[in-house]
Amino acid sequence: MSSHAKSSPKDAQVMSAILKDMGVLDSETRIINQMLEFTYRYVTDIIEDAKVYSSHGNRKVIETDDIKLAVQMKLLMEVARQKNTQPLPLVKPYCGPRLPPDRYCLTAPNYKLKSLKK
Amino acid sequence: MASKYGYESTAVVKTEPDDMSLKSDKQTLLAVLQFLKKHNLKGTESLLKQEARISDDDLRTNEDKKTEVTQALAAVYKSDDDPSLYEDLYGDLKKFIDSCLDVHKVELSTILYPVFVHMYLELVYNGHEWNAAEFYSKFWQDQEEHHHDDLARLSSVRKKEHMPGNQLLENFKTSKFVLRMSRDSYTHLKRHLQEKRLSPLLTIIQDHLFIDVFDGVPRTQQQIQATSGGLLGEVDKDANKAKVFYGLLKEPDLNILLDEDDDAGEGDEKPKKKKSKKDPLLMKKSKNDPNAPPVNRIPLPELKDQDLRERAMAFREAKRRVKLDHNHLPSVCFYTFLNAYQGVTCVDISEDSSLLAAGFTDGNIRVWSLTPNKLKDMKDPDDLDLIDKEADDVMERIFDDKTACDNKLLVGHGGTVYATSISPDRAYLLSCSDDGTIRLWSLYIWTNLVCYKGHNFPVWDVDFSPHGYYFVSAGHDRTARVWATDHHQPVRIFAGHLADVDCCKFHPNSNYVATGSSDKSVRLWDMLNGSCVRIMTGHKNTIHCLEFSPDGRYLASGGADNLAVIWDLSSGAVVAQLKGHTNIVYSLCFSRDGTILATGGLDDSIRLWDVQKIMAEQDTEVDTTIPSNITVNDSPSLLLGTYYTKSTTVLGLHFTRCNLLIGCGPYLAPS
Repeated sequence: MSSHAKSSPKDAQVMSAILKDMGVLDSETRIINQMLEFTYRYVTDIIEDAKVYSSHGNRKVIETDDIKLAVQMKLLMEVARQKNTQPLPLVKPYCGPRLPPDRYCLTAPNYKLKSLKK
Repeated sequence: MASKYGYESTAVVKTEPDDMSLKSDKQTLLAVLQFLKKHNLKGTESLLKQEARISDDDLRTNEDKKTEVTQALAAVYKSDDDPSLYEDLYGDLKKFIDSCLDVHKVELSTILYPVFVHMYLELVYNGHEWNAAEFYSKFWQDQEEHHHDDLARLSSVRKKEHMPGNQLLENFKTSKFVLRMSRDSYTHLKRHLQEKRLSPLLTIIQDHLFIDVFDGVPRTQQQIQATSGGLLGEVDKDANKAKVFYGLLKEPDLNILLDEDDDAGEGDEKPKKKKSKKDPLLMKKSKNDPNAPPVNRIPLPELKDQDLRERAMAFREAKRRVKLDHNHLPSVCFYTFLNAYQGVTCVDISEDSSLLAAGFTDGNIRVWSLTPNKLKDMKDPDDLDLIDKEADDVMERIFDDKTACDNKLLVGHGGTVYATSISPDRAYLLSCSDDGTIRLWSLYIWTNLVCYKGHNFPVWDVDFSPHGYYFVSAGHDRTARVWATDHHQPVRIFAGHLADVDCCKFHPNSNYVATGSSDKSVRLWDMLNGSCVRIMTGHKNTIHCLEFSPDGRYLASGGADNLAVIWDLSSGAVVAQLKGHTNIVYSLCFSRDGTILATGGLDDSIRLWDVQKIMAEQDTEVDTTIPSNITVNDSPSLLLGTYYTKSTTVLGLHFTRCNLLIGCGPYLAPS
């Protein structure tokens, strides 16, 4: 725990140095905390994704390639092209509210009735 | 400088050319060896090893750096010339352009920005940190003001290792910067470069710039300013070639319903006296408009009786509307949000002006009624069974009067709500949020029906189609997605923008979608096949709002550069640039007859512009494929009036069916 406490001021120093370098000379103290939180969340996300990729490749350790893959946009243009070549779905006539199948909606009851029989 | 960030790299301040070339030679040799190994060319491999005196140890250490070397082989920035040359080359180019005739000077000076950027990036890529910093500090202030933001972002890249993380850089590296130039200016430039044999400049221009040459007179400063500003320059002539069906869809036959309105008894006895008043208006619409898409081009929901009644009512109200022009300005009714503590992010008003929905930073949405009719819940199923379904006012009977209240709160989102959109039949409300989801709410039972997950990043805007059923969303993932309410996944994905898509809008005929982005361009997409049919550059900053004119031919956009721009969709060319706002433009609205455009924004004002005058002055015969033929209307006489609010940002604007202008926004106490 103590080593963790020692490292956060260093991170804060690094963050303020980066800000200064980008031309931000004066900022509220909250900014550094917010930026650190954002950085931490982003890096955790990426590393989590990278963990998945490395396990998919039967590796025990996360490699730089896994990180790179996680950061890349997942083949966005390919997915878009596939979706756009499919014709638009025909609209079914005489429907009530046009909603997706029930399991994709939030319209299911979120309660169960308990029987009164004792 | 490097150790300050805690990176473990050697703090080399000045690079010596000899060291670098030796290292790079060895790297290339090792890469070649690996290539030979991969392809089992053992003889050649051993021979090369012997001749180059490379030991096995070197090879092994090189295995780890495999990816870097293979990258080096396919290097984007191939030339590794003497770094100090770049400053001289750039300075030389500047001097040459200054020495040109005035008529060529403005066109040629557009080349300075991309050349500057790519020279800087080449210096960084090849590791000449110090030279890069010197080069940047010497010339960055010469660039145009609207490029300064992008330049600041680029300047954060000092080393090669920083490069992959920077999105702006990726865009510059992978796509070419497009410039449009007249043939005269282009030959002038080419001649100069070839005479002086400035090969590094030539390679940069060839590799990273695309100069679209057109045959015509060189453009003026005003014409260039009108289309410059895009993240990667302008667009080449092929980008806006496709035909766009901007006309409105054929209206259904409303004659029957309108005759019912007047004496039911007369009917066909006196056809000429009664019908002649209404028919010409409807007859005009039923003639085939060559610019309108066929009705079945994209599948749309069929019109129910309720919809036809609604349209008939809209038509009747349209006849009563006030005619607006430069002498008859609209009245404005402003709704102010008090005590919102800067929490209101977006506002939407339904098409018939009866409902107002607002999204807040705490993830909630509130809906208000703007008419004396209060908001009611739908009755229980048992009570609904008792209603006569054939009655004319069945839509009023299904609601329980006991639950009437002024406003309803919709809770569900996990993050700031960035946009809301009410469906044209007022049955649904859509909202999109920071949490990456889009939610569909029922305005009858006031609950969340569906949560659409597709964007994994904040969704900035959502818009219902004017015919209902489809909606489009725009997000941080640089895509706009079209959904149908009954599909849990998008039916179309529009990918192509280089940065976040900040706003999206459906065309009145539901066949096209317009998007505005942080890459400073506005794009028009075709619903049929997802292709981008128009790319329009000219804004100098992010675009925040879009609106189509009622006839579907023009598109207005407003952005952070304090401008509102009107584009002609038939050609993709800019028609008018409306200057006047002193801060970001957040909302736009055309009057119902398309004669006036209202804009509002962060400068607490609503401004009215004379669209009728713009149309009248527009030269429709000109060939817009030649950029120098385009005339941009930016005269100050287009501004008809400025109306200030008391420290209230104008977030939403809406013309009612009778041409009353409604504005809304949060009151922010001046600090």
